[in-house]
Amino acid sequence: MCMKQGVKRCRLVAIWLLLPGLVAAAPIPQSRPDGVPETAAVAPFLREHCERCHSGPAPEGQFTLPTLTPSRQSDFSLWLKVRNQLRHGTMPPAAEPQPQTEPRTQVVAEISHWLADWQAAVNRQQGRTVLRRLNRSEYVNTIRDLLEVDIELKDLLPENPAEPGFDTTSQEQHVSPYLMQNYLNAAERAIDAAIASRPRPDVQNKRFDIRDERTVKPKGSVYRHLEDGVAIFSSWVSANIQVTLWQFQSRVRGRYRFRISGYGFQTEKPVVFHVMVGPMNAAAQQDLVGYFDVAANEPEVVEFELSMEPAHTIRIIADKLGAIPPDVEKVGAENYKGPGLVIQWVDIEGPLLSDWPPSSHTRLFGTLPQHRLPGNPARYEVVSEKPIEDAEQILRRFMKRAFRRPVTEPEVEQCLTRVRAELSAGASFETAVRAGLKSVLMSPQFLFLQEQPGRLDDYALASRLSYFLWSSMPDDTLLELAAQNRLREPAVLQQQTERLLNDPRARAFTDSFTGQWLGLRAIDATMPDPMLYPEYDDILKVSSVQESRLFFDTVLRENLSVTNFVRSDFAMLNGRLAEHYGITGVQGMDFRKVPLPADSHRGGVLTMASVLKVTANGTTTSPILRGAWVLDRILGTPPPRPNVAVEAIEPDIRGATTIRQQLARHRDTPACAGCHRLIDPPGFALENFDVIGGWRDQYRSLGTGEPAVVNGRRQRFLHGPVVESADQLSDGRAFSSLNEFRGLLLQNPQQLARAMAEKLLAYGTGAEVGEADQRELDRIVSRLAEQNFGFRSLIHEMVQSEIFQHK
Amino acid sequence: MRFNRRRVLRASGVALVLPWLDAFHAEAATGRLQQPIRRMVCICAPLGFYAPDFFPQQTGRDYEVTPHLQTLQQHRDNFTVISGLMHTGGSPGFAHQATASFLTGAEGAGRPGFRNSISLDQIAAEQIGEQTRFPTLTLSGEGLGLAWTRTGAQIPADNSPSKVFARMFLKGAQDEVRAQQQKLQLGRSILDDVRAQAARLQGTLGSSDRDKLEEYLTSVRDLERRLQIEEQWLTRPLPIVAATPPVDISNPSDLIGRTRLLFELTQLALQTDSTRLVTIMMQGGTAAPPIPGVSLGHHDLSHHGRDPQKLEQLRLIEQETLKTVGQLLTKLRGTQEQDSNLLERTTVFLGSNLGDASSHSVRNLPVLLAGGGFRHGQHLAFDPDNPPPLCNLFVSMLQRLGLETTTFGNATGTLTGLELA
Repeated sequence: MCMKQGVKRCRLVAIWLLLPGLVAAAPIPQSRPDGVPETAAVAPFLREHCERCHSGPAPEGQFTLPTLTPSRQSDFSLWLKVRNQLRHGTMPPAAEPQPQTEPRTQVVAEISHWLADWQAAVNRQQGRTVLRRLNRSEYVNTIRDLLEVDIELKDLLPENPAEPGFDTTSQEQHVSPYLMQNYLNAAERAIDAAIASRPRPDVQNKRFDIRDERTVKPKGSVYRHLEDGVAIFSSWVSANIQVTLWQFQSRVRGRYRFRISGYGFQTEKPVVFHVMVGPMNAAAQQDLVGYFDVAANEPEVVEFELSMEPAHTIRIIADKLGAIPPDVEKVGAENYKGPGLVIQWVDIEGPLLSDWPPSSHTRLFGTLPQHRLPGNPARYEVVSEKPIEDAEQILRRFMKRAFRRPVTEPEVEQCLTRVRAELSAGASFETAVRAGLKSVLMSPQFLFLQEQPGRLDDYALASRLSYFLWSSMPDDTLLELAAQNRLREPAVLQQQTERLLNDPRARAFTDSFTGQWLGLRAIDATMPDPMLYPEYDDILKVSSVQESRLFFDTVLRENLSVTNFVRSDFAMLNGRLAEHYGITGVQGMDFRKVPLPADSHRGGVLTMASVLKVTANGTTTSPILRGAWVLDRILGTPPPRPNVAVEAIEPDIRGATTIRQQLARHRDTPACAGCHRLIDPPGFALENFDVIGGWRDQYRSLGTGEPAVVNGRRQRFLHGPVVESADQLSDGRAFSSLNEFRGLLLQNPQQLARAMAEKLLAYGTGAEVGEADQRELDRIVSRLAEQNFGFRSLIHEMVQSEIFQHK
Repeated sequence: MRFNRRRVLRASGVALVLPWLDAFHAEAATGRLQQPIRRMVCICAPLGFYAPDFFPQQTGRDYEVTPHLQTLQQHRDNFTVISGLMHTGGSPGFAHQATASFLTGAEGAGRPGFRNSISLDQIAAEQIGEQTRFPTLTLSGEGLGLAWTRTGAQIPADNSPSKVFARMFLKGAQDEVRAQQQKLQLGRSILDDVRAQAARLQGTLGSSDRDKLEEYLTSVRDLERRLQIEEQWLTRPLPIVAATPPVDISNPSDLIGRTRLLFELTQLALQTDSTRLVTIMMQGGTAAPPIPGVSLGHHDLSHHGRDPQKLEQLRLIEQETLKTVGQLLTKLRGTQEQDSNLLERTTVFLGSNLGDASSHSVRNLPVLLAGGGFRHGQHLAFDPDNPPPLCNLFVSMLQRLGLETTTFGNATGTLTGLELA
């Protein structure tokens, strides 16, 4: 076991590399690129500090030190664990003799170098990213851009895998016969939607008067018919008391424009409502279009466009009027004096068509004529005089865009063979072409991103960039630059990155990245206990997610420092959020940038209602979950996961003990203390925020406590024990409040930038940032330090980096 | 295939009043006398059951009934309640994610780099799946189910009872069948094409990429085979059932109602031998279910912190859930098959990834095994501090299906104390 370390290091790498199936013949790293001296520190260090417990038949924590002559890939992860424990100082346990800082650092550096060398050799052979498949949203967006169709496909495709990591991570992506079956169905639906096989649909353009709706009864209800519209005094979706536009239904799939005119009635404040879209059947799934508000007494028009499936309509639901339908019915809508929402009319125009046949059709078939199908006069088919030649042209054009690169002759030939076979079996020209298109959409060249080990070629780079920022295929401009081999030129790449970021399609980046980085996709995972949190409502939920996205967009657009994610002097708010956060002077549903005072405990992602909700369970908060979240998402140092043997803390909502008292157990038990002195402090710093992100000085309780009164009304919950958020970080730095805690995090902007870069790289390249990437990551961070840690600059640095441009 | 309302009514209208199985066996009688058909139903209650309400204090046959088991009392002799078991790979930090490994026994669900393995039902389907129109049914009240392929990909679950019913029992018009046949044939030809395209790609890839592509190719081959089998079944007559087609429940909070529909469908599927392997995920939602006395969501109630009010509501949900399980058992037991009944020939397994949802404990999992021709009527208690793996039970279940296997996941054998009647 004890050998000269320098010799052993080489051997060790050699053994790893010679393993069949792992790496064929990677060059053995001969010297350290950064000139760190060789050291023989590891073996004696482990013998002194680790071996006594982590060896033998019953090792502590069931962890046996990996052999010093590692021979399996699993040894790599074992060494990673050893290195991380030493780096975090979580091992040896506090009760054991502690190593000096210097040998510890040296050993950590030494192990890190083995790991980096090992992984770099693998990467040279294989690339960091294994064959990456389009995930669900990438597939949907790609179909949208490739075929120029706007259709629902999500129901056909399996959900994205749950955490951890991003849904772009190719390691986590699998293919099954069921998925292939789904792809077959999705391809069929998409091709159907692209080809105009029906006559040009009639465009409806009509003003609908709500007073004509049969469910909006003039008497004995919650509605009052006025000269200029209908006043709605209450809505109750679960009892189907909502204004459904029965007079209208979409006849065909397409985009529709809506204009709703309304105003606040018997009130001086703006009135909020929301619109849902879905099938006529009220019990079927309805999707939220959005929340809107209209001014009091002054008619205002709310306008939006929607992609609709056939036979759908909209529903209008008034919000926050304060009365439930029985309240109104009791006195009668005629006499009711409370606030209401007047809807005057709804203008609907659609489907919005610019040309017929639509561009989705002509992009495939050009100007080839259509004939009515014999026996089915409502159906058209494309016909051709020279079927083989036309089919070849159509497929060539299509394949180039579908494969996101030039196609090879054998690839085209394969596809044409299908078309010929169909034609000779008696199929019509269009049927044969459809078969060809379908086979393109099923092929691995379409479903997978094609990258060769080493530096990406321009086409692969174009795809990587567009899937990073658009979650979709590269457009013609990117493919053209790739064809000229110019995309890799730093200035061109920079310019294209800017162009992509400024394109509306970049919304996919914001939604998908924040949805995963901040965990916003889990916003519905819990429902706050209505007894403890009666103020929670759907507007708050929807607004809170929107806040996070808009904030992210603002930091990105204005190239603000990444430190803004920890603390910012502004917030993106609407009236509902401002009310929730106790900020005055913001009204209505529209979001705006609101400056925050220096002592505000808002600003940044840690204090957002969305984040605070997804890190809690609906009833209680756990400093462990939130602490682990901060370590992972913000600081980039995810803590080790708990041992199987450890039972989680049972929350206590009876008001008897605080979470701090319960967690004291962790700190007092040596086996737990190692990790929990890392995890708990950031969680405690956020303890003043409740499960819906409201500020609290005392816990809410359903057991014992003092009576709680809000706005003069006695609440069902009680004021429980006082919240204590003071703690100290594992390095000893103490904080007495959230703001002091944030101050401590801001002392190290490098770490925040590094964590952010790691997340972005993992998302954008489809592979976790590994040991071999650390040096390049260092370079990115140091270059960013010269640019005030601007977030947009970080995107550029990342795109220009070796990591991004290699498979 | 699309079905209009008229066709649905027609299908239910001509339903035979005679026990359907007679018709089935008239057909079977043309062949040799059949061995009893063995089946398996696996159900996961992902939020578990409150242990003090679930497990009896006493072990053996003379246990005193608990509030939860009271709902199943009429089946007492037809099930075994099992305590103390632990599953592979569960940990409090990933207690919910462990539904992924519930039927697979794979280690490390929820952890980075986790790779799932094949689930119990799919292992069985590899051997007995082609004997029925549907190799397996993967059902879930909402979202994802319990079945995983050999490559570790999740099999999408069917959430709509009406669609599954239509697939199993409603015949399309002649031209629809023809269209479907053409679609299947075209599907197969296209898969054939893409295999050729993939082969072209394969030469250019590194070894880890090749593994991924291999997974794709395997999937393509499997789907080709499935389409071929589907095509064969297309021309064979569909079973006729007396049941009316189910109407899907759209209320997303009524997950128990949805489960009930899935259970009814399960009984029909087994009775008609449309499949022999069914998995059902009984989701517990975040919204309050429509049960009198319940005002909070199931998930939030499961984090009860021993609050008596929450426990009271949780009890209502859990007993409502178990009542539907009881209804499934009643239906199966009431369905005659030759000289036996469907429950005797169907192993019904109910379990959870959570032992105690409130603390996310994964120890002492609630397990109930019914039917299948085992000797039941007892509380089989194991030491939670030294438990046998749940996978041992899975081996027992696979063997009951007639599979000659001695391993599954971390199994060390079959489950001791569980014997055939």
